[in-house]
Amino acid sequence: MFDLIVFFFFAAIAVIFALMVILHRNPVVGALALVASFFALAVMYVLLDAPFMAALQVIVYAGAIMVLFVFVIMLLNLQHQKEERTRPIQQFLGFVSSAAFAIALVYYIIKFSVVRAASGPFVSDARAIGHSLFESYILPFEMVSILLLAAIVGALILSQRGQSKGAEQP
Amino acid sequence: MTIPINYFLILSAVLFCIGVCGVLTRRNGITIFMSIELMINAVNLTFLAYARELGSLHGLIFVFFIMAIAAAEAAIGLAIFIALYHHRNTIDVDEANLMHW
Amino acid sequence: MSFDATDITLSILKIAIVLGGMLSVTPLMVWVERRGSALIQDRVGPNRVGPFGLLQSLADAGKFILKEDIIPAKAHKVLYTLAPMFGLIPALTTIAVIPWGRSFVLPETTVFGRRLFEGGRLFEPIIADVSVGILLIFALASLSVYGLATAGWASNNKFALFGGIRASAQMISYELSLTLSAIGVLMVSGSLRLVDVVHRQAGYFVLFDAIKLPAWNIFPMFLGFIIFLTAAFAETNRLPFDFAEAEAELVAGYHTEYSSMKFAMFFMSEYMAMATISSLMVTLFLGGWDIPWYNEPPTLLGFLFSAGAFVAKVSIILFIFVWVRWTIPRMKYDLLMRIGWKVFLPLAIFNIMLVAFFIAKRWI
Repeated sequence: MFDLIVFFFFAAIAVIFALMVILHRNPVVGALALVASFFALAVMYVLLDAPFMAALQVIVYAGAIMVLFVFVIMLLNLQHQKEERTRPIQQFLGFVSSAAFAIALVYYIIKFSVVRAASGPFVSDARAIGHSLFESYILPFEMVSILLLAAIVGALILSQRGQSKGAEQP
Repeated sequence: MTIPINYFLILSAVLFCIGVCGVLTRRNGITIFMSIELMINAVNLTFLAYARELGSLHGLIFVFFIMAIAAAEAAIGLAIFIALYHHRNTIDVDEANLMHW
Repeated sequence: MSFDATDITLSILKIAIVLGGMLSVTPLMVWVERRGSALIQDRVGPNRVGPFGLLQSLADAGKFILKEDIIPAKAHKVLYTLAPMFGLIPALTTIAVIPWGRSFVLPETTVFGRRLFEGGRLFEPIIADVSVGILLIFALASLSVYGLATAGWASNNKFALFGGIRASAQMISYELSLTLSAIGVLMVSGSLRLVDVVHRQAGYFVLFDAIKLPAWNIFPMFLGFIIFLTAAFAETNRLPFDFAEAEAELVAGYHTEYSSMKFAMFFMSEYMAMATISSLMVTLFLGGWDIPWYNEPPTLLGFLFSAGAFVAKVSIILFIFVWVRWTIPRMKYDLLMRIGWKVFLPLAIFNIMLVAFFIAKRWI
């Protein structure tokens, strides 16, 4: 009972702030609304018996990726960018197609999803995740670390171009 | 009483479609990027809902890797936007319509 | 998950105690800061208002309430008003997972003819004993970046924006060293719950078969403690890392345009963040509520002794914060970022390997 109240409250928060992201003119307000939405999603993850993933969601998404977004928006002074109004035909088609997609998805979910009886308690603590990550998934783990290295190097190089060429950067 | 999985799947579908709407209707590059992040999170929620339903840890590990890769993608995407802004002084994606100038 | 009235009442009592403690940290710390700085600088400090200037904080609070609240004309009004609250939220919520005393058994009592605590009820002085305690602290601490960045941006002032961005960049750089230096503690205690971390430190290291050293994590992991302490200074924007405020450099940094109650909220959130990180430092490295060489019994008296020990240790760390502020000068910002990435991060990783070596040799 209490679970349901928490679920609906935070689901409403997630949806409302997600709508604010796509509808508000100012990208800074959109970024902060997305942070609130991610926080509400982290609560959803706790309801799904995965507190480790909830903490990771807040640390990685709300605490690092969105900080990156906020930095870029504030440093490039993007709030003064005049975003022109999208062409009305594009807006209409966009809204209608995503609404149709949403209605179709929800309909098929309700019609076809199979509800099983709940199995035993779900062990999802850090120890189990650590075992799984370092035993079964060790190869993707190493590959993702190399991917992150490539991302760091790529971001460094991409953001250097366009500055004074030939000048020695301190 | 545990929450039935349908509720989570419907929430995930709604968030995904809000993200799709954002990508299709906005012209600001950063806002499009944020809508993509919203879509990725909706998918994360679906993975975790099914992980709890089937009692398997593989869903959690998937979400772990999705978060790591989304972080890498966000870094590179924002670096591309910075480079675009320095060249064209705008991040309106409709203006970035030449392959080479 | 079944609650009953006793659970809810005890939780509300715990929240009231902790909230009261956190809200009273600010006036006390203001007094300690001003008298402590005066002591270090060989002057007297405030001594007019009340004996030893103890009521100075009350006078400050009155001033903040009565000052005019100015909002700049072109500032973004909603975010400008919300930014101080973004700073308060992490400071007040992270304290919920820190254990501040020994859990004890409430004996069965009869009050007004009704039996309470039937069969003895365990009172655990921690508001939320989640299974991922340490991760939750780092999660909520990483949200404190938004308060600074939003405050700097919403003021529509270049100095404030620079102050906010500099402070945010500094905070996310040192967050990495903070988290990595705490991993050594996690490896030793084998669990993410802070209650387990404190229990692990309740034993003793026996050296040379004669000296019993309390098994606090500071002794084997001194390098980790130093890294954590420095990163804590950077996280709370205290000197020598206070580039967010940077008096005389950036006017007043990210809170240039703030006045009266909003500025007071920034002020309060800084001291509360200090108190939270000091409590975390005490829990992870200094043994939490454990009194060395004394086995606290699980009774009310043992609980009070352990809570007193916790408060005493946190006070020592808070005094160290004040002491360092008025002793060490502030260097340049690029030096700060350089040592953050090139010195502390490799040292923190080296600390993990060192602790792993100690565990493998069974010295810990």
